[in-house]
Amino acid sequence: MQFFKKLNLIAAVSILTVGTAHAVEPTPVDWFNAGYQTVFNAKRLIANNRHAKNVILFIGDGMGVSTITASRIYDGQTKGGHGEENSLSFEKLPYLALSKTYSVDQQTPDSAPTMTAMVTGVKTIGDSLSVNQYVVHSEKNANIINANKLATILEQAKQHGLSAGIVSTARITHATPAATYAHTANRDWEGDSDKLAGATVPDIAAQLVDFNISGGIDVALGGGRTRFIPNTVKDPEYGVSGKRKDGRNLTVDWTTKHRNARYVWNQAGFDAIDPNTTDHLLGLFEPSHVHYEADRVAYDQSGEPSLTQMTTKAIDILKKNQKGYFLMVEGGRIDHAHHSGNAYRALTETQQFAAAVKAAMDATDPLETLIIVTADHSHVFTIGGYPQRGNPILGLTQGVGATTPDLDLLGLPYTTLNYANGTGYTGASNAQPAGSKTFTIPATAGWASGSEGHNPTSFQPANGRPILDSAKVEDDNYLQEAIVPLSAETHAAEDVAIFAGGPKAHLFHGILEQNVIYHVMAEALGFN
Amino acid sequence: MKISDFLKIVMAVGFITFSLPVFADTVSDSDQPLSEVACRYEMKVTSFSTPKPKALFTTAWFFWRKPNMIQTQDADGDHGEIWERTANGSIQYRKLYHIDKTAVEYMPTDMPANNMKFDWFKLSGMLSKEELNTLKLIKIKSVLGRNAELRKGNINGQALEVLWLPNENLPASIIRKDKKSRMELRLIDITPLSVSAKKPVALEEISDYRHIDAADFGDMENDPFVKKLMSAEGHHHH
Repeated sequence: MQFFKKLNLIAAVSILTVGTAHAVEPTPVDWFNAGYQTVFNAKRLIANNRHAKNVILFIGDGMGVSTITASRIYDGQTKGGHGEENSLSFEKLPYLALSKTYSVDQQTPDSAPTMTAMVTGVKTIGDSLSVNQYVVHSEKNANIINANKLATILEQAKQHGLSAGIVSTARITHATPAATYAHTANRDWEGDSDKLAGATVPDIAAQLVDFNISGGIDVALGGGRTRFIPNTVKDPEYGVSGKRKDGRNLTVDWTTKHRNARYVWNQAGFDAIDPNTTDHLLGLFEPSHVHYEADRVAYDQSGEPSLTQMTTKAIDILKKNQKGYFLMVEGGRIDHAHHSGNAYRALTETQQFAAAVKAAMDATDPLETLIIVTADHSHVFTIGGYPQRGNPILGLTQGVGATTPDLDLLGLPYTTLNYANGTGYTGASNAQPAGSKTFTIPATAGWASGSEGHNPTSFQPANGRPILDSAKVEDDNYLQEAIVPLSAETHAAEDVAIFAGGPKAHLFHGILEQNVIYHVMAEALGFN
Repeated sequence: MKISDFLKIVMAVGFITFSLPVFADTVSDSDQPLSEVACRYEMKVTSFSTPKPKALFTTAWFFWRKPNMIQTQDADGDHGEIWERTANGSIQYRKLYHIDKTAVEYMPTDMPANNMKFDWFKLSGMLSKEELNTLKLIKIKSVLGRNAELRKGNINGQALEVLWLPNENLPASIIRKDKKSRMELRLIDITPLSVSAKKPVALEEISDYRHIDAADFGDMENDPFVKKLMSAEGHHHH
């Protein structure tokens, strides 16, 4: 009897967490049992007080709670289920807390001080990377930077003999990955040509390659090639010039400075890397950020690995160190898609991010590896209305029992997903006519290039709302409506989630300052 | 010139010259040699949305063409655009803000997301081969001492009248009109680039500009240049 009861519980939990297109709807007993099972499991949860051998910090850039919820539903619906019952990989981690993301000078922060808080344990001011709040913005003097720099968890890991890696879909010199290894008071000084004249602080790309603790960074995979190659050298994929003016080719420096080092820039080169014989891997797969996951396979002309593939390769290289490793993985383009006001790409980026977390969970032992999944900040992305269960998350809101979409007080349908501000405002912009906006160039466009999507610099007041239909709003390039017209959608100030599993993961509880994340990692690795 | 005026021009030029999406299936002309020229165009836009036609604006701009580079610039020299074709056929596009010594890049990575692929012939001559073929040849004329084909037709519901210079592969004029507006682009001056008094900004000079990836605008809300660019138009209600 006990055996059958256990089976029933498993079945109920399965129904509530997996969801299939024609899954039998849970009965009241199923709901009850699934809830009970959750508590039963929670009671058996034992805090892992061991020190962590490895720490993997996953950052969904801009992945606020609403993004997680919408992505969970989208992911479930792409699997054929209602969606709401689905769980992204990291939602199954046992411990959860909320993170207060404000910086020393910002109520709504940018990625530089938030990542600095997470990897140094200290909050700082906007745009600053791993330097304290007393350094003025764009400080040029390297001596002042050095005097005020904050030790990062990646640096400490290397000092303790661990290996260290960074993976991102953004430029590897972008704020989030850069905060782990660079110290500068301007996040935009990614290459030497980006710096102010007279600045003696090294650029971020140079800091990555010149990182000299215990043999240097072991793995760095992402985008941002042009900041690594001189302006006399052409990009291997597109033929555009590099951006460095100091003559340095940092991709060459990488392979000459490090032992058993390789540099790759496309899928073929990446696939050819044998983790057993490669100790230092630099992979730069685009001149700037890599492709959105939604576009990657179809459009990248030389091929580039997914975030999941990069994560797996990084772990395979790093795990050779018996002392352990620190790895940071960023889903960097969730943020970009939101800034563009395009929910589809934000959700598909999050879906891929969750796949990368799953790959890491599968490749590691939870007894010895602390996995943390969080965001640096949120976005003004909302899930509204009263859609029925299973309503397409990208679709028009349609209420329980309704056969047609719900209407607003103007008599017009509306979507479940919207933005509080940004590019989807429906007044005429300088780039697109009045009505719904699209990420792609419209057939009757007036914009010369069209390559930037909808990047308006002006709007006229909207006259009412546009008439929407399912085909329009469920198109991959649809920009959800925004209330406040802005040239780019903005970050949001509400707390973000921290999911964790593994050694010391139980230290995440309640509502925490964002810089606590560092202290848990340091505690787990025995650095305190 | 104000940024807002510049953007009007870009829009207008786009309306006249890039009304068809430049998709991958457009004719490739990578082997076509085109002469190096320096041109000055004038643009006039008239609105028909009021009872009496209303001239919205008239402006002038420069156009320079090399085998692998197209560059435009407003008459004041404040702003421009540049397209460069690389050895492997990729096209790099940047908007140029000369006063700020800043170039805004639109990366190849983000072009597929926008269903966009540049057609070098169209960039070089402002009309695609498909558009030209759609227009009916009416007669041969002489414009600025050069042979010109008068072509007319309808594209995307708009009447289009083009004076095409077949030897130069450039329009001497394009008139595009619909119920709402009439836009006229007119060639004022054309000379070989080598003898032109007005030159494009040198690539070496542009390479010294600060470069910003357009995808980063959302994360650069505190950057003085981005702030200026956005606020220049953002407060302005037409």
